[in-house]
Amino acid sequence: MVVRKKSFIKTFFFWFFIVIVVIFVAYPFAYMVSVSFRYDSDAFDSHLIPRNPTLTQYAQLLGLQESIRQQMSQEEQQLMKLLEGLPEEQRQQVLNNIMAERKKESFPFLRWFGNSLLVAGLSALTSVIIGIFGAYSFSRIWYPGRDLVQRGVLLVYLVGGVILSVPLYAMFVRLGLTNSAGTSLFSLYIIYIIQTLPVSLYMLGNYFRTIPESIEEAALIDGSTRIGTIMRIIIPLSMPAIVTVFIYAFMIGWNEYLFASIFIRPYPSAYTLPVGLREIFFSEHAVWAKMMAASVLTAVPVIILFMGVEKYLTAGLTAGGVKE
Amino acid sequence: MENKFKDLSPLKKKEAYFGWKLISPAVILIGLFILYPVIYNIYLSFFEVSISPNQPNKFVGFANYTRILSDATFWNSFGTTLLFVLITVAGSILVGLGVALLMNKKFPGRSIVRALILFPYVAPVISTVFAWQYVLMPVNGPLTLLLSNLGIMDAGKDLINDPNNALIVVSIYSIWKNFPFIYLMILSRLQSIPEDYYEAADIDGANGWKKFRHITLPELYYVLGSLVLLRGIWNFYKFEEVYLLSKEAKTLPIYLYERAFVGIPELGVAAAISTVLFIVMMVLITIYVRRVLKW
Repeated sequence: MVVRKKSFIKTFFFWFFIVIVVIFVAYPFAYMVSVSFRYDSDAFDSHLIPRNPTLTQYAQLLGLQESIRQQMSQEEQQLMKLLEGLPEEQRQQVLNNIMAERKKESFPFLRWFGNSLLVAGLSALTSVIIGIFGAYSFSRIWYPGRDLVQRGVLLVYLVGGVILSVPLYAMFVRLGLTNSAGTSLFSLYIIYIIQTLPVSLYMLGNYFRTIPESIEEAALIDGSTRIGTIMRIIIPLSMPAIVTVFIYAFMIGWNEYLFASIFIRPYPSAYTLPVGLREIFFSEHAVWAKMMAASVLTAVPVIILFMGVEKYLTAGLTAGGVKE
Repeated sequence: MENKFKDLSPLKKKEAYFGWKLISPAVILIGLFILYPVIYNIYLSFFEVSISPNQPNKFVGFANYTRILSDATFWNSFGTTLLFVLITVAGSILVGLGVALLMNKKFPGRSIVRALILFPYVAPVISTVFAWQYVLMPVNGPLTLLLSNLGIMDAGKDLINDPNNALIVVSIYSIWKNFPFIYLMILSRLQSIPEDYYEAADIDGANGWKKFRHITLPELYYVLGSLVLLRGIWNFYKFEEVYLLSKEAKTLPIYLYERAFVGIPELGVAAAISTVLFIVMMVLITIYVRRVLKW
């Protein structure tokens, strides 16, 4: 901007708007973080700074500390003693009831975290690998049909997940891939690959075009194969872009709720974070402090990853290839 | 194409085959799981779809279509969707543009503020939805308390789950979540406008508004046009942000979801809804691209 003496009023309004923007953006996050450091009993305290800060919610979620429910299980031990007097069959039945009750009350955060990590991580990795070769193909090599492929990738942006949900579900049911926890997770893996593949192709294609072809030509003349130049030149030179695309694709899988809810709702052991947290939210476990701690733990990994690649992300997003 | 391909030298032909080989996994996946489903979806919309693999689908002709088109809920959610798209696209572009103009100036702490602005876009929907539900909770929510202390509303009111307000709250949430994306796009375009334009305008004695009106805005025309298109498409399909935040904002994708996957599944009917959604979208895109972007 042009250097010019600014009036006091202008400066004042400038900073006023900056503060408004910061409050607008940060307000919900501030409470999310604040409530996550409280005891359940303080969850509705209207002060932003917690009065009795505690790490207990995090410790419980991460399995470092037993929840109050589990601490109270002495009660259970006494119950066991009483049970010893009962005949074998009856005892078994009562035990089963207790176990079922316990299962309902558990909050297997780490398991869901692991499921999300697995399915989002693997699908992003696959998508990036397929994307590298595909993007190289249409940014470097000419062949009949190349323009069609390029335009097709663009067109695919216009097909939303909601539109695909019915036919994909019908297809996977016919293929028998919705019958167990494992195959349902596999279905999600496939779906997340195709949801992220257009981004990978587009962003990587844009990036590869910025690498001077002369570097490659030299290697090709020296007798390197195409695959060789991809491995030894293109991939190392594009590492920032590849990492960025991976993180972007990872976020799409990490975030996804629609398909996850359709495919894995019947299998609690396969829940990803969004599905699990939503289920918990509508159960008796909806305690705000713990929900907020879970929300922070869900958000932190992606926020950290993104901050690391912010510069490249901005470049990648604005190069025109984005998908949600 | 045939001829051109024949004219290639053997080496170039080998290259072309190689190029096809490299792209084929992507093409196969996209064909199988995006293009085929779109067509399969149209096919399904003419059937009563069974969800057991052993039972065949029953052909019902246009029955699914007549059912949804005569259903008042469908038209209501259609209207809600259009309103949602209108509010969120206009809102997020205005906020995004304003913030981009602010962030285009240098000031101490700018890099921190810039990073912070990306948070809503980057954070998972599920986390931010819980945070919003907390601050807007009736009686105890801090934002509810603030608004009621300012006399804007009654503290006992459940803003998010009141059918009268749900759409507004969901729209504001969506603007909050998505304006960073628009801000990023506009900012990068702003930074590529040559400084001389403004210097020349300064010499002519133009004020800030005039510079914005005659230099900045025309330079942003195509970015803004594309953003309206992209956000319009994405918000038309938007499911998670609406469904997870409020039970009462009934847009078309939610109507579809409920028909297909909640209670007794009616996949044929849902397929008809998504076919309608798809066709409407394609028509709107075509008109918009011709008229506004003049492609």
